[in-house]
Formats: sequence, structure tokens, C-alpha cells
Amino acid sequence: MIKIYRKKVAWMLMAGLLLGSLSGCQKKETGSIKGTAVQERESRPGRDTTMSAQEPEESKAMGRYSETEIELPEEIENHMKCGFFRGESGNLELYTKEGDYYSEAISDTFRYIYQDGVWERDEAWAGNDALKEKGIDLMYITWGMDKAYYLGGTDSDYRYHLFKLEEDGKLTEQLEGVFEPEEGRDYGLLPPKFQVLEDGKILVYAYSEAYLYDASGKRMFSMAKDFSGTTSDARGFSEGSEFVTVLDDQVVRYDLNSAKVTESIACDEIDGVRDSAELFGDGAGGIYMATETGLSHINKGGSMWEVLIDGSLNHMGMRSMYMTGFLEGDNQDYYGLFSSGDAGKGILLFHYEYDPDMAAVPPSSLTVYSLKDNSTVRQAASQFQSEHPEVRVEVRTAVEDGGSVTEEIIQGLNTELLSGKGADVLILDGLPAKSYIEKGVLMDLSGLVEEIESSGDMYNRLIDGLKESDGTFYQVPARFSFPLLIGEEGTLKAYSSLESMAEYQGERPLVPVENYGNLLRLTANLRYKELFAGEEGLADRELLIRYLETVKTLGDANGAKTIFSEQEMEEKWTSNYVKENGIIDNSINYDAGRADSAMTEADSFGGLGIPVEVRRLHPGTLIVPAEDLYLPSTLAAVNHSTANEELAKEFIRCLLSFDVQKEEFYDGFPVHKKAMTVLIEMDKEGFSMGSGIGDYHISAEYPSSEVREEIAAMADGLAVPIRIDQTVMQMVEDGSRDYFDGKESAQQAADKILRTMSIYLAE
Amino acid sequence: MQDGKLKKKLVPWLFLAPSLGGVTVFMGFPFLDVVKRSFTDTMGTRFTGIGNYRAVLENSAFQLAAGNTMRFLILCIPLLMTISLGLALLISGEAEKHRNNGVIKNCRTVLVLPMAVPAASLVLVWKIILCRDGVMNQMLSRITGTLWDVDWAFSGYAFPVLIITYLWKHMGYDMILWLAGLQGIPGEQYEAAKIDGAGAAARFWYITIPGLKGTFGMVGILSVVNSFRVYREAYLLAGSYPDSSIYLIPHLFAHWFLSLDIQKMTAAAVMMTGIIVIPAGVVWGIRRKK
Amino acid sequence: MKKRNGVALAVLTTACLLVWIPLLLMAAASLMPEDELYWRYLTPLGLGRDRVRAVLFPSYPSLEAFIELLIRSPGFFIMFWNSCIQVLPVLAGQLVVAAPAAWAFAKFRFKGKEILFGLYVILMVLPFQVTQVSNYLVLDRIGLLDSHLALILPGIWSALPVFIMAKTFETIPGVLMEAAYLDGAGELYTFFHVGLPLGYPAIVTSLMLSFVEGWNTLEQPITYLKDKTLWPLSLYLPSIAEDKASVAFAAALITCLLPALIYLNCQEELEQGVAASGVKQ
Repeated sequence: MIKIYRKKVAWMLMAGLLLGSLSGCQKKETGSIKGTAVQERESRPGRDTTMSAQEPEESKAMGRYSETEIELPEEIENHMKCGFFRGESGNLELYTKEGDYYSEAISDTFRYIYQDGVWERDEAWAGNDALKEKGIDLMYITWGMDKAYYLGGTDSDYRYHLFKLEEDGKLTEQLEGVFEPEEGRDYGLLPPKFQVLEDGKILVYAYSEAYLYDASGKRMFSMAKDFSGTTSDARGFSEGSEFVTVLDDQVVRYDLNSAKVTESIACDEIDGVRDSAELFGDGAGGIYMATETGLSHINKGGSMWEVLIDGSLNHMGMRSMYMTGFLEGDNQDYYGLFSSGDAGKGILLFHYEYDPDMAAVPPSSLTVYSLKDNSTVRQAASQFQSEHPEVRVEVRTAVEDGGSVTEEIIQGLNTELLSGKGADVLILDGLPAKSYIEKGVLMDLSGLVEEIESSGDMYNRLIDGLKESDGTFYQVPARFSFPLLIGEEGTLKAYSSLESMAEYQGERPLVPVENYGNLLRLTANLRYKELFAGEEGLADRELLIRYLETVKTLGDANGAKTIFSEQEMEEKWTSNYVKENGIIDNSINYDAGRADSAMTEADSFGGLGIPVEVRRLHPGTLIVPAEDLYLPSTLAAVNHSTANEELAKEFIRCLLSFDVQKEEFYDGFPVHKKAMTVLIEMDKEGFSMGSGIGDYHISAEYPSSEVREEIAAMADGLAVPIRIDQTVMQMVEDGSRDYFDGKESAQQAADKILRTMSIYLAE
Repeated sequence: MQDGKLKKKLVPWLFLAPSLGGVTVFMGFPFLDVVKRSFTDTMGTRFTGIGNYRAVLENSAFQLAAGNTMRFLILCIPLLMTISLGLALLISGEAEKHRNNGVIKNCRTVLVLPMAVPAASLVLVWKIILCRDGVMNQMLSRITGTLWDVDWAFSGYAFPVLIITYLWKHMGYDMILWLAGLQGIPGEQYEAAKIDGAGAAARFWYITIPGLKGTFGMVGILSVVNSFRVYREAYLLAGSYPDSSIYLIPHLFAHWFLSLDIQKMTAAAVMMTGIIVIPAGVVWGIRRKK
Repeated sequence: MKKRNGVALAVLTTACLLVWIPLLLMAAASLMPEDELYWRYLTPLGLGRDRVRAVLFPSYPSLEAFIELLIRSPGFFIMFWNSCIQVLPVLAGQLVVAAPAAWAFAKFRFKGKEILFGLYVILMVLPFQVTQVSNYLVLDRIGLLDSHLALILPGIWSALPVFIMAKTFETIPGVLMEAAYLDGAGELYTFFHVGLPLGYPAIVTSLMLSFVEGWNTLEQPITYLKDKTLWPLSLYLPSIAEDKASVAFAAALITCLLPALIYLNCQEELEQGVAASGVKQ
């Protein structure tokens, strides 16, 4: 009896698992289906003919959406977008305003209409005067489904108001009082978006909710949605009696009659994608979704997203671009609005049209391999793509965000390289570059480097740092950062040798408290030349012992541990996180008088706000680079067996070009001098940062232009790249743990480490 | 007659053909390539003679790893085979007696589960037990009354820890093989022996053991094959460069692979194959002569 | 006699318990909300230092991790399905290809048999790492890379099932075959009517082992499949973000669910197989 029962259960479970996987499968498959998906909706122009004519040979499939830029009026270069939609005549309308989010004054607003291929300013627009009269600074404008324009903006107290623009050019306020602050709050709701429905109901988007108001201004109900993390998050739309938005990383449909979720659609693009995503309807119940990966569509009741536009082939995938609007045209064409500057400036408009004569996939291709996602590389890929439409640039990222790099992944890559295959361009960050060079896997780039350096645009010394001992180049850095020390002049002298670090006598510890992993690593980085200059490096027993003892002295002084408990972390303002170079910004420890000096890794001006503020608060404090050391990153190399040598080199040129270098992704400073100048000159008003633990708090502004100038000048003096073998570092960390825990002597630890190291070196 | 003889000669090859073809392509060619690579440089472009072999033999890391691996195999394989055979005997013996005993049946399922558990999660469980603040130290502290603070996977205990995790994982695999072997022994032999009055011990020695002769070699070889898979757990548990007592051949191979020293890896592999094959060939040759 | 049974039962139960405890720890962890997981297992997760508070039953059981996995991660199902596509044909193929070869090795005498069999053993013993690059080259030459076939075809022609089946076929008494021949049966008939039924347990065992191996394979898919939409379930775990520990445990549990269920089924089949061969004799 039991037997039969159990067997049945087992079979049922198995069947269930398989069925489950089948249905789950149908739900997704977005990733794999590109362009050739089953077409349930009315066919796209040209699609059917190409499908039937050339179906067997997928590689020759024709037809793809091409991208063309549409010129916008020149004057809007410094404008911000307030609205982008198809208005009363069905034409595209773009609304902009002068000035910033932060300006006090009421900015002028402008209306532009796209007609017969030209953008024209509507001089007769009544909105601007009406807004001025009311004292409102426009933030958002839309065309209501009840066929009227609606505007929202803030008054001088920064309270939000919503108006209907009447035929006579007058504004009548809607939802009065709705946006007043709640009791005890300073600010009321500032919705990033609202929509007016056919029956006059108004859907107001807040951050993690959306509210539906009836025409009289009474709130009917609220609906939960995901908050993308930026204040301009407005993912969602309403069509018919439905509200489509994002909830729990899925696209959901709300029924606006019942406020209930009627359908959840799983979707890989939403989860983990950067926050700019646009959802819009197709007028037939289907949903469009535009993200940096492209434009996808799903039919009503459908279970499969179909990818219409591959974002990696055009500007949609460009990292410096932020999508601010996406619309469908009349002929199954699309318009994408982007902002390429800070705070919604630098508006760009692209038109996506189906071109049946364009190869579905560009004829030649260039592959770029990177272990982890790298924004600069992505940017370069998009840039390269737009300059070379005939080449398909594919960026292969081995590990998704948050995943860990395992040996199997590198073995997989090595297999390709040893077989004479593999990506054309390799980004060496995290890869065993030294072995690759020794074994002849990489191409000699000396000629390319010479050419790039001769332009005089680059920080040549930073590139020269990666020259091999025989004078050749195999890798070129696209970004760099460098360690900075913070403290009084006398104190910072202690960093000039291991000995002086150990001997430092001060009121407070020299180095702020860190776990021993970081303490080991930051010492190794700051004293790089002393520790790694010799042939042997850390394999020199005397030196290794001295190194360990120095770190122990630092740790004894500041209360370091190999690993902290929760409570200790709170008390000591530290964590168990171990950073590869150990240099974590700890300037607040210095500010709070917990240490006599501090350090940070300078990789962007924005990241230096707090250290600079700390320096201001403590007269006599200096911020200086640690000797002439720097950390090169985004190291590009070319696979020796590439069949696309010229394209690969062209890609590296693109990576180092002004256009790519000038974009800021907080992954390091540019190696291009003019790009650095752009960053120095760029003011970022309203960019502020803060840090606090318990009662302590500090806040800072974006560093001033003088400070930016000063920091950038430091880059001129840098010359020695820090290149520490992370395998050795890990051995030292593992082998020294017992010593730092007080269980054995430095000599014992050193011997243990040397034993392991000798195996490593013998291999 | 001539025809029949030819046919008889052809029959085994017909049975073999489908396998032989694919095995040649998917296993044979790669193997030949491996042998070829062991005589060339990394990229397989320059012939280096026995240079790689010499480099491997002189390599102190290889000597250490080979020694450790031998020690591991000598200790582990007999242990694994004995334990799994014991369990298989218990289960098959018991199963015959009470065919419907739930406990026994569940035992079988449970014992084979470990081999299906993905290494990444398994290692987390081992860490729960073996880490410094883990279950093992807590239990020992309670039992002995003194504080235990050993990081088992990183200390001198790493070797026994590795053996236990290996046994835990592969016990079920070997047990299944033993069970298959035991089922191949005709039941009537036991019946006959019983009638003749043979005791349990006698039945074991004179029927079970000879009956398992073929299985014995098979389980042994497969255990050696599986021992190479101990690496993933070892690496996840104790890192890429663990305590030198558990630095095994798979560690070395993985590192060689990472640093693209594939020529050394293939040379070492060919040598190890030789070490297994040559004595086996000699034994076989001698037996044939007789 | 009774007492010895008791001892045997006790030994088995202990063994089971030893095996069960780590599995139960895993199951319990998959049912914990993240907070509880971190509170209990801070040190093993490498996030800090705190006493491990191991339990077999969570204090605040929650299905959050399973919901996250089964409902909110469409990728998981894709990978599950990929695993099925990559493993099940291998089993079918092995049955067709390996069983006759094993029969030939076990029951025929022909020239070069020992050497050939020795070669099979060598091919089986070599660790995957060693042949990885060479395998890759072969698959590239045939043009199989980046397709399910890159895993299926080499899987079918693995030497392992031939070895296991041959070793077990050898134990089938020759008497039975001769009896069949005397009855005038051909080679094929003998194989199908004597070999397969009697070798049944061995075939099922070998396929079982192949299944588990294929299900948990890591290096092959990472190396042969660039297209991540083809990746099998075994690569799901390593790709889970480090901060989703309980999801990882849940995924591990579901990963070994199918092999366990198959074994549960095969176990019954195995016993029936034995019974059937007994009848024949």
C-alpha cells in the first residue's frame, strides 16, 4: 500500500516539475527570441516576406529597426524636458523649460511641435504666460485622455499644483489641496507623473504607490508599485480601465475598477536593469517596454515578450544616456527621447524605423569579454556601434551583478583562448594577465600605444606604467584611480616606510580601524614599492615578517580584528567587507578624532566630497597622493588569435577616445586629458552627499572647481601602477590569521605563508 | 562454414560499432590531442620533446600533490569501498528479509541523496558544522568542558575533514554499484548453501565475495575517477591554496589551467595514465602467456 | 537472529542520520527568512563573526525563498528545462549505444578486445579538465558549440556507462546464453531476451549515475555554451547573488529533488527487475 502510494507521489511530483518548467518556459524566453518571434499581432512591415523568403538561413535574415537621430531645435541644448507625447493633433510634442530643478526663479517654458519632419516652436502657446501668472514652475505636462492639456508644477513654497489648460488659455486648478504636506511634514507629494483618464479621473504617481482620484479630488484608492530608486521614476501607464506598472520586479496590470492586480508578467529586463525603463501601451491591450536592452512587446494575454529593437545595437544601450520617453509612431515606428547630461539636460531624440533591407544582424562582429559589467566598456561599445553600423559589437559579461567569479569561469575562457578562439578584445580586470602575456595569448599593442600617446591628449605616464620590462605593451588602461592620504603633514610622514608606520607614536592610532584583511591590503598598496620592488617580493622572509609585524602594530593600536562581531562593527565604525586594495574611505574616522590620519581611493570628484569637507573642517590637514602610485583599471587587451585585429584596435581607440572618456561612471578617472578637463569644468549643483553613524553626521557638497583642479593636478605626478598578485595577497591573508588572532608568532605565520607560496611559485 | 566464421567474427564489431564511432570522435580524438599537446608548448605550436615531462617531474608542487593524492587514495578508497559494501550488504540482506520495511527503503534513498546535492550549497552546510563558531566546536566544547576554537577546514585537521566529506558524498554512488553487483549473484546459490547448512559467514565468503569479483574492480576504478571530483568541495571549503596536506593533483591541475600551463597538465595526465596502464598491461600480458 | 536484525537496523539508521543531518540543515536554511538566516549563520556565510545557531527547524519558517525562486525568477525555469533537454536524451542515447557495446565486451571473444576495453577505461579515467581544451576543439570543428548538442553528444558517448554495464553483464552466467543458442536464437535475440532483462539492474544503475552526473555538471556548459539562455540548472546556483543565501539553499534543494525522485522510482524498478530475472531463471 505504502509502496504504491509513494511511487505515485514521486511520479506526480516529477510530472509537476516538468510541467512547471514547461509553463515557466513559455512565460519567458524573452532573451532567446530576437526578431524572429512568432508574430501574433498584425505583422510588422516587411517582416512576413523576409521570414518566408529567407527563413532557413537565419544568419542572412533581413530586416531590423534602424535608428536615426532627429534634430531638435538648437536652443533647447540647456533645457530640461517637461513633457513628450502625441498631443491633440496627433503630432509629437515636446515641452521644455529653461534652468534647473534647483533654481529659485520661475523658468520660461516652451512648446515644440514636430510636423513634416521639422520641429517648430509654438510661439502662440498660452501655457507659459498662464504659468507665470500663477507663479508656477512647470515640472510635468501631459495630454489627458479627456482631450485637454494638464500641467503640474511647484509654487514658491515648493508645493505642487495641478492645472487644466482651458481652451481660453486659462489654468484651472485640479485636485486642490491634495499635494499639501501632511501634518508635521515640510513637503507635500511631488509626483513625478500623472495621467488624466477619459472620465476625468486622475492617476497620480508617487514613488512606491500610485493614487487614483476622482474628478472631484477625492482619493479613491492607492496601488502599490516598485520604486526604482530615482525621483524621476515614472514607470507605468494607464490605458482603458487598466493601470500597468512594475511591482515586485514584475510587470503587473491593475484593474482600475477594483484596484486589484489582474496579471503579473515575469520579465528579466526589469530585474536588475538600471532604473530607466519606459512602459507604454499599444492601444490594443498589449504592453511595450523600453529599457537599455531594447524595446520589447507583449500582447494582451500573451506569455512571451518579443524583442523588437535590440538595444545593444543603438543608443538605447548607451550607458551615458538616460531614457526619458518612448512613443509609438503611426507606422510601427518608435521615438525614443533621452537625456545625456545631468538633471535631464542634453535632450536627444531618436527615431526607430523598420528597415527590411538591413541585415537583421550586422554582417561582421566584434566581441569584447569582461568578467564583470563595466560601464565604460558598454559606453565604448555603443559609441563604436554608432560609428560602425556594419559591425555587431557584442559585450560578453561572464558574471552578472552580485555573482561571484569562479575558477570554472576563467577555465572556460582559457579553453577558448587556448583553442585560438575567444573574444577579440579582453578586459583584463580580474583575469590572470601575467600568464596571458607570458603564454603569448595577447597581442603586442606597442604600435597602437605609440599612436595613441603621440596625440598628446592622454596621460602618457599612466599608460606607460603598463609597459612590460622588454618595452612592449599588451594592455592599455582606460580608467585609473589613486590612493589619497588625509592628515597633518607631520603625521603623513609616517607613511614613508613600514618602519615609520610601525613606529608612529601619536595620541590616536595612525590608521583608522579596519579588519585585518583590509589592513594587510592597504599597507601592501601604500607601501607597494617597498614590498614588491625586489625580485622576490613577499617571498623574502625578513620582509614578510616585517610586513606582518607592521600590520599587527597598526592593528594593535586601532583595535583591528580578523573578523568583527556585529556589535564591534557598530562601535568601531567598520565592517567585515574586504576590498581588493583595502583602501576604504575612512575620513570620517579622522574627522571624529578616532585616528590621526585617514585614506581614500580617488576615483571620481564626487567621491571626494567628504574627505575634502573633512580637510576644510580641520585646518592644517592635507590631502596628498600616496607617493606616485596609481591603480589602473578597465585594462583593455587584444586576443592574439583575433581575426579582427584592426577592429579590435579600433575599439581600444574608441575606448580611449574623448567621447567615451568624458562620460562619468564613477569607475575611475579618464586617462584622456581633455575628458578630465571636461569633468573639472563641470559643475554639479545639487550634488551633495552625507555620511553618518549614530550621533555623528557629516555632509558635503560636490568639490569646488579649485579642488577639482587640485586633485586632477595630482594625476600628472602619478607613474607607478600598483599591480599586486591577488593570489599571493589571499595567501598572506589566510596564513596570517592565526598570528593576528594571537595564536602564533609572526615567524610561524611567515613560514606558513612561505610554504604555500613556494607551492604557488613552483607550479 | 567460412561464411559463418566471418559472420561470427563480425558480430561483436556490429554490437560495438555505434559506440566505437562516437567514442572515437568525442573521446578518442581529444585524447590524441591531449597526448600531442603534452609534447608541445602552451599554444600547441612548437614541439618541445619530453621537455614538459621533465618539467613536471622536477616540479616540487607536482611532487607534493602526487604524494598527497596517493596518500588520499590509499586511505580513502578502501575505506569508501568497505563502508559502501557494508551498507549495501545490510540493505540487500535486510531488504530480502522485510521487503516492505519502510525504514530500509528510505535508507536506500537517503544514502544516495548526497551525490545529487550541488557543491556550492553543500559547502555552506559543511561550514556551518566546521567553521570556528560552528556546530562541531560547540559540541566538543560541551562534551570536554574546554573551549574548542578550531577552524577545521584550514587547520591540520583539513585532511580528515576532506576524507569525511568525500566519504559522505560518494558513499551512495558506490553503494548503488555494489547493490547492482549483489543482484547479479543468483539467489539459488544462497538457497543451496543454506540447505547445505552453510552459515552466514560462510555464505558471505564463499558466495558473495567471489560473486562480487567483477564488481570489485569496477567500484575501485570508479572511486578513483570520482576522487578527482573532490576538488570542487575542497576548493570551496578551504580555498584554492589550502593547508599543504590537502594540496592534491586536482588543485595543481586547476592552477595550471588558470595560468595556461596546459602543456604541463597534459604531460602529467599522460604520465598518470601510463602509471595505471603499464602495470595493468604487464599483468594482462603475463596472464595471457600462461 | 532477531538481535542481529536489530543491530543491522541500528547501523543503517545511524548512517542515515549522519547523512540526513547536513541535508536537513540545508532544508531548514531554505525555509528561513533572510534575517533569521543571517542571525544563525553569520560566520559560515562569511559576513561576520557570531556563534552558529544551527537548527533543524527554523523559528520563523517562511516560503519566501521558494516563492522568489519559483514565481519571480523566470530564469530558473528556463534553466531547469535546459537541464532536462541536455540530460534526458543522453540517457536514451546511452541505452541505445552503450548497452550493445557493453554486451560485446562482456560476452564475445574477439581480437583486440582487452586493448580496446583498456582504452575505454583510460578515456573514462581522464579528468575532464585535462581534455577540456581538446574537447572544445573537436566540438568547434564539428560546429556543435553553443548548442544543446555540445553537451548531449559527448554525453551519449561517454565511456562510463559502457564500463559499468560491461562489468555487470560479465556476471550473467554463460549457461543462459548457451541455452538460448541451443534453442536456435540469434545474437540479437539473445541480447534482447537474455542480456537486457538480466542486465536490467546494471543498465538502470548506470543510467541513474549518468543522470546525476549530467544534472550536476558545471565545467562543460560553462565552456561550451556562450549563450546564457542555454545554460542548465547547475549553473543557476553559482550565479545567484551572494546576498540571497536562502534562495541559494532553496535552489539547491529543488536541484536535487528530481534526481531523488527518479531514484525513488528506479529503486522500485530495480527490485522488479531482479524479480523478473529470477523468474526467468
